Amino acid sequence: MMPGSTSRAESRSHADRATKWAVSLPPSLFLIAFFLLPSLLMVAASFRHPGEFGGLAPLFLDGRLQLTLETYRFFAGDFIYAEIFLRSFVVAGLTTLLCLLLAYPLALLIARSPKRRRDLLVLLVILPFASNFLIRVYAWIMLLGPAGLLYTPFAVIVGMVYVHLPFMILPLYTNLEKHDPALLEAAQDLGAGAWTRFWRITLPLSLPGIWSGTALVFIPVLGMFAVPELLGGTRDILIGNLIKEQFLDNRDWPLGATLSILLTVAVLALAALAARAGRLRGKTS
Amino acid sequence: MRRGPWLWAAALAVYAFLYMPLAVVVLFSFNDSTLNAEWVGFTTRWYGKLLDDDEMLRAAGNSLGIALAASAVATLLGTMAGIAMHRWQSGSLRLLPFLVLTPVAMPEILLGVSLLIFFRQVLDLTLGLFSILAAHVTFSIGFVAIIVRARLAGMDESIFEAARDLGASPWQTFRRVTLPLILPGVLAGFLMSFTLSIDDFVITFFVAGVGVSTLPLQIYSMIKVAVTPEVNAVSTLLMALTLTMIALASRLAPDLLKARQQ
Amino acid sequence: MRRLLALLLLTLAGLAEAEPTLYLYNWNNYISDETLARFEAHCHCRVKQDYYSDNEEMLAKLEAGAAGYDLIVPTGNAVESLLRRHALRPLDKTKLPHLANLKPEFTDLWFDRGNRFAVPYATSVTLLGYNATRLAELGLPTDSWALIFEPAYLAKIKGRVTVLNSQRELMAAAMRYLGHSVQDTDPAKWDAAKRLILRAKPYWATFSNSTYIKDLAIGNIWVAHGYSNDMFRAQQDAAAARRPFAIGFTTPKEGAVLAVDSFVIHQSGRNPELAHAFIDFMLDGRNAADVSNLIGAGNPNAAATPFLDAAVAGNPAIFPGAQEMKRLEMLRDFDATLRRTLSRMWTEIKVR
Repeated sequence: MMPGSTSRAESRSHADRATKWAVSLPPSLFLIAFFLLPSLLMVAASFRHPGEFGGLAPLFLDGRLQLTLETYRFFAGDFIYAEIFLRSFVVAGLTTLLCLLLAYPLALLIARSPKRRRDLLVLLVILPFASNFLIRVYAWIMLLGPAGLLYTPFAVIVGMVYVHLPFMILPLYTNLEKHDPALLEAAQDLGAGAWTRFWRITLPLSLPGIWSGTALVFIPVLGMFAVPELLGGTRDILIGNLIKEQFLDNRDWPLGATLSILLTVAVLALAALAARAGRLRGKTS
Repeated sequence: MRRGPWLWAAALAVYAFLYMPLAVVVLFSFNDSTLNAEWVGFTTRWYGKLLDDDEMLRAAGNSLGIALAASAVATLLGTMAGIAMHRWQSGSLRLLPFLVLTPVAMPEILLGVSLLIFFRQVLDLTLGLFSILAAHVTFSIGFVAIIVRARLAGMDESIFEAARDLGASPWQTFRRVTLPLILPGVLAGFLMSFTLSIDDFVITFFVAGVGVSTLPLQIYSMIKVAVTPEVNAVSTLLMALTLTMIALASRLAPDLLKARQQ
Repeated sequence: MRRLLALLLLTLAGLAEAEPTLYLYNWNNYISDETLARFEAHCHCRVKQDYYSDNEEMLAKLEAGAAGYDLIVPTGNAVESLLRRHALRPLDKTKLPHLANLKPEFTDLWFDRGNRFAVPYATSVTLLGYNATRLAELGLPTDSWALIFEPAYLAKIKGRVTVLNSQRELMAAAMRYLGHSVQDTDPAKWDAAKRLILRAKPYWATFSNSTYIKDLAIGNIWVAHGYSNDMFRAQQDAAAARRPFAIGFTTPKEGAVLAVDSFVIHQSGRNPELAHAFIDFMLDGRNAADVSNLIGAGNPNAAATPFLDAAVAGNPAIFPGAQEMKRLEMLRDFDATLRRTLSRMWTEIKVR
């Protein structure tokens, strides 16, 4: 072995290491500063005392660290907050279900259209979604107001579905498009009816698409505050509204932070669950 | 493949559901009534009024500037992150996907609120242009990284090895081989972050300070207080703008639509 | 790419402000565009407004880092909070030659003795606005809080009522209806107010601080709990659009909340000089009259009186007479304990 080649290999691995850090460090540092650190601060804020005028009380007072479980105790001691969480999950679940029901036929139709027409049909789904989300909500204010349906739970659900529908259609379509038509033809040849073919073949195969669509709809709905605020009535407040209110109305940051942490935990748990379900599916099929 | 008439009917109903509300917004932007409660007559005066609305124009300028700057930075950092996630999946970099992808998956309000605490408590920063920019870059990086990584994943590794074996330095490999190959992805990432930034309401709502308003914030306050069809006019113009953008994008980067679906 | 960068730089450069700018944090619908345009011409500057629709919202925004407002227009109790926070700059009266235009009863108010920090700008009454045509058809009374609290009346207007999304204002209305002062400190009475609200809540459409203006004018909503100047606006809008009904507003006979909103100069503002100029400009009788004539608010400025429209000056819901005044109360801040109790009640009201 020539000594020169080792050193060349060495210098190459040096260069590789340098490249690795040069490429990965800037985005990592940026995200540590503007995502990880703020998240940790939020965790910390949930254990702190509220400031006299709002914000947070000083962390050190008389040389002692001022941390408390008070806010969590407050949350646990009052069913009202848990109730809002539950209600938000119900709204998110309902929205997801309705999105699924509306999205499925459309996604199926697009997937079974001739190839050259598919792009256009997909574009038609994306176009309204490309207008600002507040405009889409405003559209429903205009439509529901004269009908006397504004400020009702119905309005909130319609708004939520409308705003999130494309997030269900697109992953579903991406999945359905990949199905092999031969499977359905074979089933038909074996005498399976349209309904059986859908129920036994198309639907099970599309489950991964359903799962990713569900994640893309369910999670954002959980944190949404603008839709209930603009379309909702006297009872339609969700976690998002509650969190926003703590920061921008009530001046109770620790409570707002606590609610945010609990929402994060719920979202992470859901994501883990969905990933797990997806993986199990992958193994069995 | 057979497509039943019921499928067509259901799909048409969904398309109607998607378009009808926006059609109403557009139609009523030409309504000659200050209240916009019912159709009165045709006018284009709301568009004229819009052009005279200083606040709105300034907000539009802010939105544009922020979107351009934020998506430029996010594209740079996101491309790096996408390459890093693709090439090094071991060691300390195993945590990178978590860092990059979580902001994409989280409900927006959580990022908004934690950035608010951060800017206030740590930087003791006056909220404004910088805080909005930083926030927009943060949530855009992940989207760019996902697109770039997807682009890289579909490629044959041997070209990079060949380049290295031919004596190309890492930078040369990147400049001459990698970049041209991932360029459509990078471009798509840029357009994606531009759209996300110009569209963002929730996070901006929490980190925007005094005197810096963006278009979505302006629309929000109009929806809450104003009665005139000016809201409809600005909405219609924005829709026209996005339409143009999409048309342009599909010319420039046909991959964009594909990327969006992933 | 280079052209893109150039464009980027240009846009960013455009963001930097050239003209001197006055940052005003104001109630929505509290100053007319005409008045502002006149001031901008007068000072060769620009006025940039942001809006709030509740004092609490404004205070929370400031705490959350909204720095840089030169002028704010808080109500008395919020002035008190800001003063305790040391957030206000004392006024330089040498720069306010028109200060003497204030009516004597507005020069020594409890929240700011002797106008050291605050210059009263306008007054409003929190009352009921309604679709007069509709309510007459239904035979409902319009001069009592019973309209929004009594199920017997509410049954006829279910889903057509909005109330303010403000803990202090809504609970104050309930307290007045129950015959208590809005400054009462007995938790039991507040609890009764909460129960009154919860009983009426199923009949209300939503909590709204600003959208009720257009909802009333369009006809989506028939009764709104809100500020007199907003009702004035709804009335004007409905008339201008020739809606087939009229909007009215009346101070309920059980009494209501009176708000005195003042200009104050915030510590974080960068342009106190311009802020003083603005306050003095607004103290001029002709300019001061605008807030009554165009916005429909009460006026603390004596020099404005000759310029007032008779219809506005004679409306007791805008300019309460001496007799009316006795039924009106200003809100004042509570101690921390009662505040927490009320905040807890408010959450319950929002959720139940």
